[in-house]
Amino acid sequence: METVEEFLAHAVALEEDSAVRFDDMADALEVHQNDEVTGLFRRMAHFSRLHLAEAQKMAEGLDLPHFKPWEYKWPDAEAPETPEMDATHYLMTPHHALTLALDSEKRGHAFYADLAANNGNDRIRELAMEFAEEEAEHVALLETMLAKYPLPPGDWDEDMDPPVAVD
Amino acid sequence: MDVPLEETPVYKVKSYKSDLKPIWCPGCGDFSVLSAIMRALTELQLPPHQVSLVSGIGCSSRLPAYSTLYGFHSVHGRALPVASGLKLSRPDLTVLAVGGDGDGFSIGGNHFIHACRRNVDMTYIVMDNSVYGMTKGQASPTTDPEWPGSKLTPDGPGVAAFKPLEMALSAGATFIARAFSGDPLEVARQICEGIQHPGFSFVHVLSPCVTYRPEQKTWRERVHEGFPEPTDDRREAFLRLLDDDAFSTGILYKGRTGAFQPHAEATTRAVALGDQFVI
Repeated sequence: METVEEFLAHAVALEEDSAVRFDDMADALEVHQNDEVTGLFRRMAHFSRLHLAEAQKMAEGLDLPHFKPWEYKWPDAEAPETPEMDATHYLMTPHHALTLALDSEKRGHAFYADLAANNGNDRIRELAMEFAEEEAEHVALLETMLAKYPLPPGDWDEDMDPPVAVD
Repeated sequence: MDVPLEETPVYKVKSYKSDLKPIWCPGCGDFSVLSAIMRALTELQLPPHQVSLVSGIGCSSRLPAYSTLYGFHSVHGRALPVASGLKLSRPDLTVLAVGGDGDGFSIGGNHFIHACRRNVDMTYIVMDNSVYGMTKGQASPTTDPEWPGSKLTPDGPGVAAFKPLEMALSAGATFIARAFSGDPLEVARQICEGIQHPGFSFVHVLSPCVTYRPEQKTWRERVHEGFPEPTDDRREAFLRLLDDDAFSTGILYKGRTGAFQPHAEATTRAVALGDQFVI
C-alpha cells in the first residue's frame, strides 16, 4: 500500500463489507426469530456504516482507486472486520454474537496497527495509527459488553423441536 | 478482460438484493454464494433487468427469490435447458443458472452433460454440499461412498462420488472452476470471469450444509489453491484432475472455443413433427 488514496479505498471497503455482512447475518437470524442477536448484528452494521461515513468524509476530494473485490490487499481472504458467515447458528446467543464482533474489531485493529508500524508512507502511518486507536476503543467497548454475557451452558445449541430434523 | 467502469458505479450490491430474506439455515454456505453473485454483478455493473437467474429445485435453488434479477425457479434438474433456451432466444441477456449437486448432477445430470457439450454462453453455479438438504439429508451424487449419515443408506451410499470437474471437462465445457463458499471473494472472482467467458462456464462451489453435514465445517482447513492459473490445454487440465483431491480451488480450464451459435433456422417446427403422430 503506497498512497493515501489506496489506504482510504481499503478503509472504505473494510467498513462497507463489514456493514453488508452484519446486515446479512441479522437477516439470517431474523428469519429464525432470534431477536436479541438480530438486534446486536443490526447495531454492528449501523456502527460500521457510521465508520464508513467517516472514512468517506476523509476521502472527499481525493480520487480513490478502483479495486475489484478480490484485489484488495487484506491479510486474509476477506476484509479484516468482515465476520465469517458460517459462524452463525440459529440458536446463537448474544455471547456468541459479541465474540464474533469482538474478533472482527480485533482483526481491524491488527490491520491498522500493522500499517502504522510498517508502512513506508508517513501519512499512511499517521492515518493508520489514528484508525488503530479508534479500533482499540471499539475492542474495549465490546469487551465491556461481552462481560455482561458470560459463556452459555454447553448445551446452548440443543433443540428439542428443531426446525429441520434428520430423517 | 477488464470491463470499462463508469466513474461512479451505478449499481451497488443492494441493487441486486430483493426484500425477501433468505430462509437458509444460518451458517449455510449458500449465503456467501448469493453475496458473491451480487459482488460479481456489481463489479461488472450489469443492470439487474439485463441479467436472468434460473434455478432448479432444492435449498440453493431458492436463490432467484433473493435477488432483483429476472428469475425463473424451474423444475427439478431443468435449470440448464431453461437457461439455454432463454439465452438462445434472448442473446442480449446475461444468463446465470444456479442449483445444488442433487439437482445438477443427478436429476439434471443429463442436462449438465449436454449443456457442457453445447457451450451456450451462460454461467452455471453449483452449490455442492454433498447432500439432499431440502428433503432432510439423503446421499447425493457427490456424497462419499462411506458416508453413514442417512437412515436410507446407513452404511453409506456405496457408490463412487460423481466428479463434476472431470465430467464437465470430458463433456466439453470451456470454463471450469472450483471455489469454496468460505472464500466469497474468490467465488465472486470466478463468477465474474465465468460471465465474461464466451461459452458455457461452470463454477463448482463447495458450500457446506451446517445442518445435515456439520462435519463439512472442516472444509475450511481442507481447501487449497490447486489451480493457481487456468490452462487452455485440455490434456493438461485432465492431468491436473488426476491429482485433484476434490478440494483444489481456482480456475482449472479456459478453452478457446467460441460460444454456440445456431447456424440456421430449423426447416420445420417441433409442433409440426407432432402432427405426424396419430393417436
